[in-house]
Amino acid sequence: MPIPETYELECDRCIPERYKHMALSNREQPVIPACNIKTVPGDMTERGCAFAGARGVVGGPIGDCIQMIHSPSGCAWYQWGTRRNLSTIYNWSGPGKLCNDSHNRRRAITTDLKEEDVVFGGVKKLKNACLETWRLTPGAGGILIYTTCTSGLIGDDCHAVAREVEKEIGKPVFVIEAPGFCGVSQSKGHHEFNVQFYKQMTEYREAHPEVCLKEEDKTPYDINIIGEFNMDWDLALIKPLFEKLGCRIVTVFTGGERMDNLLKMPDAKLNVLHCQRSCTYISNLIQQGYEVPYVRASFFGIEQTARALRDVAKFFKSEEMIDKAEQIIDKETKAITPALNFYREKLAGKKVGLYVGGPRVWHWTKVMKELGMEVVFGMCTFAHEDDYEKINARAEDGLFLVDAPNEFEIEECLERFKPDLFLTGLKEKYLARKFGVPTVNSHSYEKGPYAMFRGLINFARDIYQGIYAPVWKFTRDEDFTR
Amino acid sequence: MERIKLNGRLTVEDINSLPEIPVEGINYEQIYIEKEPLCPEYVPPDETIISSAKRSVVIDPCRLCMPFGALWASVGVHKCIPFVQGAQGCATYPRYTFCRVFREPVSIATASFHEDTAVFGGQKNLVEGIRNLICRYQPDIISIVTVCSSEIIGDDMQGCLDEAKRQLEEEFGPEILDRVKFVITNTPSFAGSHVEGYNRAAKSFLQAFARQRSPSDKVNIIPGMITPGDIREVKHILRLMGIEGIILFDISGTLDCPLRLPQSMPYYPKGGTKLAEIADMANSLATFALSPDEGSAGATYLEKRFKIPAIIGPLPLDVHNTDRLVRKLAEVTGKPIPEELKDERGILLDAMADTFHYTMMRRVAVCGDPDIVAAATRFVCELGMEPVAILSGTQSKVFEQELKEMAEEYNFKPTIFNGGDMFEWEDFIKREKIDLILGNSKAVNISKEAGIPLVRIGFPIYDRVGYQRRANIGYRGGEYLLDLIVNTILDSKFPDDRVHQ
Repeated sequence: MPIPETYELECDRCIPERYKHMALSNREQPVIPACNIKTVPGDMTERGCAFAGARGVVGGPIGDCIQMIHSPSGCAWYQWGTRRNLSTIYNWSGPGKLCNDSHNRRRAITTDLKEEDVVFGGVKKLKNACLETWRLTPGAGGILIYTTCTSGLIGDDCHAVAREVEKEIGKPVFVIEAPGFCGVSQSKGHHEFNVQFYKQMTEYREAHPEVCLKEEDKTPYDINIIGEFNMDWDLALIKPLFEKLGCRIVTVFTGGERMDNLLKMPDAKLNVLHCQRSCTYISNLIQQGYEVPYVRASFFGIEQTARALRDVAKFFKSEEMIDKAEQIIDKETKAITPALNFYREKLAGKKVGLYVGGPRVWHWTKVMKELGMEVVFGMCTFAHEDDYEKINARAEDGLFLVDAPNEFEIEECLERFKPDLFLTGLKEKYLARKFGVPTVNSHSYEKGPYAMFRGLINFARDIYQGIYAPVWKFTRDEDFTR
Repeated sequence: MERIKLNGRLTVEDINSLPEIPVEGINYEQIYIEKEPLCPEYVPPDETIISSAKRSVVIDPCRLCMPFGALWASVGVHKCIPFVQGAQGCATYPRYTFCRVFREPVSIATASFHEDTAVFGGQKNLVEGIRNLICRYQPDIISIVTVCSSEIIGDDMQGCLDEAKRQLEEEFGPEILDRVKFVITNTPSFAGSHVEGYNRAAKSFLQAFARQRSPSDKVNIIPGMITPGDIREVKHILRLMGIEGIILFDISGTLDCPLRLPQSMPYYPKGGTKLAEIADMANSLATFALSPDEGSAGATYLEKRFKIPAIIGPLPLDVHNTDRLVRKLAEVTGKPIPEELKDERGILLDAMADTFHYTMMRRVAVCGDPDIVAAATRFVCELGMEPVAILSGTQSKVFEQELKEMAEEYNFKPTIFNGGDMFEWEDFIKREKIDLILGNSKAVNISKEAGIPLVRIGFPIYDRVGYQRRANIGYRGGEYLLDLIVNTILDSKFPDDRVHQ
């Protein structure tokens, strides 16, 4: 029987404009569903806002800055210590004692805009707030000011404030304008952060050349890791392998990084780009502006991680590095093989539904195959065409794809495809469980790190725990379900 | 020394050089991460700007946005779907928060404002959004909640809704408007916190749906933002007293639901206050708004409009307040206080009598929303403890008054942070001698850093399980909270050899 062009979900009968967001993948002729377009109002979307993308995803992991949210207190509260983007940088809680949580997650800082600010403008308040927080945060590497719906709509000139504050404090003060209503999803916030950070970084470097990496401090193998946010200490597994390879990591954009190091980003020889949705923009800008090329990489699973190491070694055209890459791959693969074999046996043939923001769907399609599992549908909250191209290339033909899925579509896919496991985020996991489907938190992880070879065992273990948890045999007991 | 520092954890180097990774993997908590201080030495904060009154910036706000409270209310209504007239984050962030606190799915629709909406207004999004929601979800009620952006843009919500209704009638026929009802709550976050949002929703729901018929012998309960466990305790007290109650907004059947297969689509929780019950609230004997700042607007509306006496607060989280509630319930309904309830009260008193040597004269700090903080402070007074630093994240006159009264009654002089932020409260705690903190999950860092044990109460608690199912209110809730408090003190203050008898 020929594969139908797409499955038409029952729940969308009365919003047929959703059907163009669905497709069946094809390796030869990639099928791209409608994506990165406006959300259908009232469709119970899972998408977030641009502010979430800018502050929560890309800016949030920066380790040593003051993150000033120019808004009523709610927006700042919602961004306070949520995503598990970790860092080594801790503020002092008292004499001789560090805080209980890393600096980037410890506090929520906001101008707490009120009615009078909405009427008369919040510029003065913002300036005071920046200077006060600066005085209360010795050692901070700079200030990042984020606008939101409220400050965006009242039209405060935050850049003017930033220049004034920058003069007073002598450290970078960057403004990220990504109010919640801009763009169609959080993806717009990633984009805005990249572009605005790049522009202000470039201007700052020109005005303060001393912040650039000095010639004598450069090495031939300087790289940046771009688009890596250090969820559950992924970086503890990523950095050492590149260092073993012979690279020197100048900066990570942005997982746990210091502003001083971020300013040196254009001085590296190569950018290794992990999250290719949220950070391709800045990689392109650096390539255009500073002629620093980038390689795309995935740090998930054996095949993709091996390829990332090989690609970086190949880029530097060093025989030694190419040999080293093979040695690392060999050693790492051996170290995880016994554990991996245990999980492969348990997971063989299990069906998995994949729903993450965008890139992890294609990052993990291969990983699922490595674990012997079958991906039965793929969904992305904010993917663009290039993400779907990558999914098409990596998936078995005929994988059902849903762009920007909403709650009802998720329910119907869970019922229709009956996956043994659903890889998804925090909001959707509780829904899936009500339908008897186990989940693994695919945004902040269950018990990571999941990256690189050694992280794969954590990932496989959490998947195994999901599927084999004894609770599921009780939920399906017929005496209690009839 | 090295072994003590690592405390059983592995360095990054060790993990990456292990010849074989065990089947159970190596988790993040097993990795020893060398921390780097933000600056080389601790610098005490600038005294002149520690107080929130003396600075513009708010650091660690102990309050959420106004729409959140209105969404909480809406989620407690049967087959009611909230519709956020704003950008997607204004629905997604609250959903995220509900999910991580209650560990339940929560459906909140959004108008999905994009740039064009900021220019042209949100009418088109509302009309389309409501239409889509109705034809896919068939809700009983759509609760439209505005946010900062729609308020600043100045969307005429009633006008938008009228247009939406007109188009619904055109597409689905006039009977569609019999099947689904609407309520609008205006919640610009720059004008107040989640506490005010819940309060406004209490009024808007009653304005929209309460209808006078013949008087009933029911009582209305507007609980405020307390847990499903708390609401079940309210129901339990009513049941013991033989009183029929209407609870607006009843999250006990929507935010704590069983896993039972098969599940029907779309997912709707079984519970929640029914539309007919809200309508009937205009006919009850009295309205009890248990949390003065969260719901009194609804009770006052019923009193003014339908002459239903409003009994406002205080939250029955301690003996005095629970006694007051029970007395009032008896008074209003003419029912006696039942034996079982007197026994439950007696069990709480018995527990207090057994434990005051552990609790008395202990110094306590409390933080959270005004109503629950005021009541919890009273409870610690009743246990002979001394309230020292009391923070209400949302400014409240009732809170201030309550605190003054109990300070006089128990002869304490707590420092009160009314509408302050956690930064100033934290600074105060770290300088004072405090034995115990009562607060939500946002107080965990402070508790760990200051070395003061934390008893979790209030909202939000997302870092431990089960709190949403347990009651803190009523006599049985007090008993549970007392146990938590005493056991926490025993854990932290008493050597093991001192607790054998």
